[in-house]
Amino acid sequence: MNKSWLIAVRELFERLNNRSFRLMLLLGPLLILAMVYVLLESGNQGVSSMKVLISDPTNLFENKISSRPSEHVTYYFYDDYIEFESFKSDPKFKSFDALIEINEKVIINKKVFLFHREDPNLQLKMKLKFEIERRLEEVLIEQFTNLEVEEFRKIKQPLNIDFRNVDDPFDTSDETTAWVGYFLGYIMIFFIAIFGTNITKSINREKINRISEVILASVKSHQLMLGKIFGNLLASFVQLIFWISIVGIGLVVFQQFLMNDLFTPDHLNGVQVSDQQLKALGMETMMQQNEHIDLLFHRINYLWLLPNFLIFFIGTYWIFASFFTIMGAMSGDESDGQQFVIPIWIFLGLTIFAGYNTMTYPDSGLTKFFSYFPWTSGMVSMVKVTVGVSLSQYLMILISWVIQLLVGTLFISLAARIFKHGILSFGHRWSMKLWFSWLKK
Amino acid sequence: MIEIIEVNKFFNQKQALDGINLIIPKGSVFGIIGPNGAGKTTLIRILNQILEPSAGKILIAGIPLNAQHVSAFGYLPEERGLYREMKVLDHLVFLARIRGLNRNQALHAARKWLDKFEIQAWSNKRIDSLSKGMAQKVQFIGTILHDPQIIILDEPLSGFDPLNIQLILDQIRTFKAEGKTIIFSTHNMNSVEEICDEVALIHQGRVIAHDQVAMLRSKYKTGAYKVRFQGNQIAFANALWTGFEILSTVELGNQWHEAVIKSRQGQTFNEVFNALSSALTLQLIEEQLPGMQDIFLKLVTQNNHE
Repeated sequence: MNKSWLIAVRELFERLNNRSFRLMLLLGPLLILAMVYVLLESGNQGVSSMKVLISDPTNLFENKISSRPSEHVTYYFYDDYIEFESFKSDPKFKSFDALIEINEKVIINKKVFLFHREDPNLQLKMKLKFEIERRLEEVLIEQFTNLEVEEFRKIKQPLNIDFRNVDDPFDTSDETTAWVGYFLGYIMIFFIAIFGTNITKSINREKINRISEVILASVKSHQLMLGKIFGNLLASFVQLIFWISIVGIGLVVFQQFLMNDLFTPDHLNGVQVSDQQLKALGMETMMQQNEHIDLLFHRINYLWLLPNFLIFFIGTYWIFASFFTIMGAMSGDESDGQQFVIPIWIFLGLTIFAGYNTMTYPDSGLTKFFSYFPWTSGMVSMVKVTVGVSLSQYLMILISWVIQLLVGTLFISLAARIFKHGILSFGHRWSMKLWFSWLKK
Repeated sequence: MIEIIEVNKFFNQKQALDGINLIIPKGSVFGIIGPNGAGKTTLIRILNQILEPSAGKILIAGIPLNAQHVSAFGYLPEERGLYREMKVLDHLVFLARIRGLNRNQALHAARKWLDKFEIQAWSNKRIDSLSKGMAQKVQFIGTILHDPQIIILDEPLSGFDPLNIQLILDQIRTFKAEGKTIIFSTHNMNSVEEICDEVALIHQGRVIAHDQVAMLRSKYKTGAYKVRFQGNQIAFANALWTGFEILSTVELGNQWHEAVIKSRQGQTFNEVFNALSSALTLQLIEEQLPGMQDIFLKLVTQNNHE
């Protein structure tokens, strides 16, 4: 083990001395931060003014909503029910940008639907939400309680305004959390592809320059193989630590400095309001309303996700490492290393598909299969733990991880057989016959 | 002492080694020679535990070869490589450490040998920036810096210039004087004659000759003598009479000649001297022992015909 460790450390330093490796230490996380920046900014995109039609068949709002006129929102009242399909296509509603349904149930369920043709920007969303909630608050106090406003605000439930596009009315955006899991799984597969390929290249390089025979006179072939696998795992950890640290620092910088206005807005299109005021009103804050900010800064439990990411990464790396090792040992010349990696990349593609399938059809039979199939279970588990799992579900995920480690170990031992014979073979042509003969020995 | 007992090696159906038996004395320089594909490298890889024998065993000082012996061996393979992107010192320290030295010991040994081979100024350079000769010195140092007791050198002189060849040969003699065992595989028969105490000729996986170098040369001598004399060539021919065949004559000038003769009836050195000394002025009579090159060719050709 000591010799494997020496080989692993040498492999790590070889990676650290590589210019592209060092470049990726910075470039990778900066690219992620750039994506996050675009994502956060996109949460603030949309139109800034609207003509809003309020469908209020019970006349709950009494054709009143805001005492101060606004250049950004103009409200119109309609005293009958409007089907959203009718609002979408009826020419008489074409001039309106959005429809708000105020029906008799709103008093009980505190839920209001807003159908819009184009997305309102965050400020406009907040303004709409703020003004509807304020008006509803007035109505409730006037008609149903004897409480003072301050007392009422302490006990009231916040209003839930559901913004929906008329062209995609059933979009609920609940999948965003799963996308985070999928993205992390994707990063995991990306790292495995990069560092797994490095295993193949490293074996290939040592075969080509013949240093392997010198090393094998001092270490067993399986020690050399494990050294290479662990060395590249260490190198991937170095990358991950840099990426996590830089992305973490970047998110703090976004919050504190670069995108400060998104996090703590001073005004809402003429309505003076702060997060503290919104909280005092029992409303969602700006950050909660920007679903991307909410997702990245509130809903993701990093302390839960990162350890899980690491264990699934180790399991998935372990099982794929055997493939990359076999490909390196089997290659007869330098060009072989490139073409043999292609089948593994196809397999990695299957893993990415498994992640997408889990997001789209979380309870399908195929997803269940992918959950336990050792090559895809890491990705599926990543999506599942990000969305949230019960204790029993998590135990099943851990079982799939143990299966992954056991199958990985089996494949590593098979890889060791091929490695033992392949590492000293040069200039041969790859064939299944050769593959099996090395496997049998 | 290394004892190689009935070692066989099969690769699938192909037999690479066929019952190899050799005893390599401690403190000797032992040559392993043979044509390409004879099985030399397979035998050397088995000694280095890179390959396992299909049958037979190897004893080191009476103990079966095992993983504990790894640090006792230093191995310079024929197809030798280096980590080209590493610095010289780092590369040597890494090699020493995987052979059991700790970091301080490895650093100390590497610096000592870099000094000795006068390449200390290159210790912090990347290996891919070294000349071929310097890279080969680094390879040689990498083989011996953990102070192994058994040094296996597969074609150690190939690619070296004459100065470096002398450096390596001198170092091998020093190792021998220190009591280390050197196993030396080469196609360079001059160096075999120069430094090997014993030699084994391997052909088609079998040992077809094994003896001390001097004994082998004597065993395969042809009865040829080199003679340098002053005088008439006719007188020279008359003096030899019918007992000798004149193989070649070269005139050196001023009536001096050098000839190679071969006895027909196995005459001794004294008989040659007596036959010539009364008729000619002699400067040199030297028995012409066959070189290892000749013995190698003779035995391999003979074996191919059997």
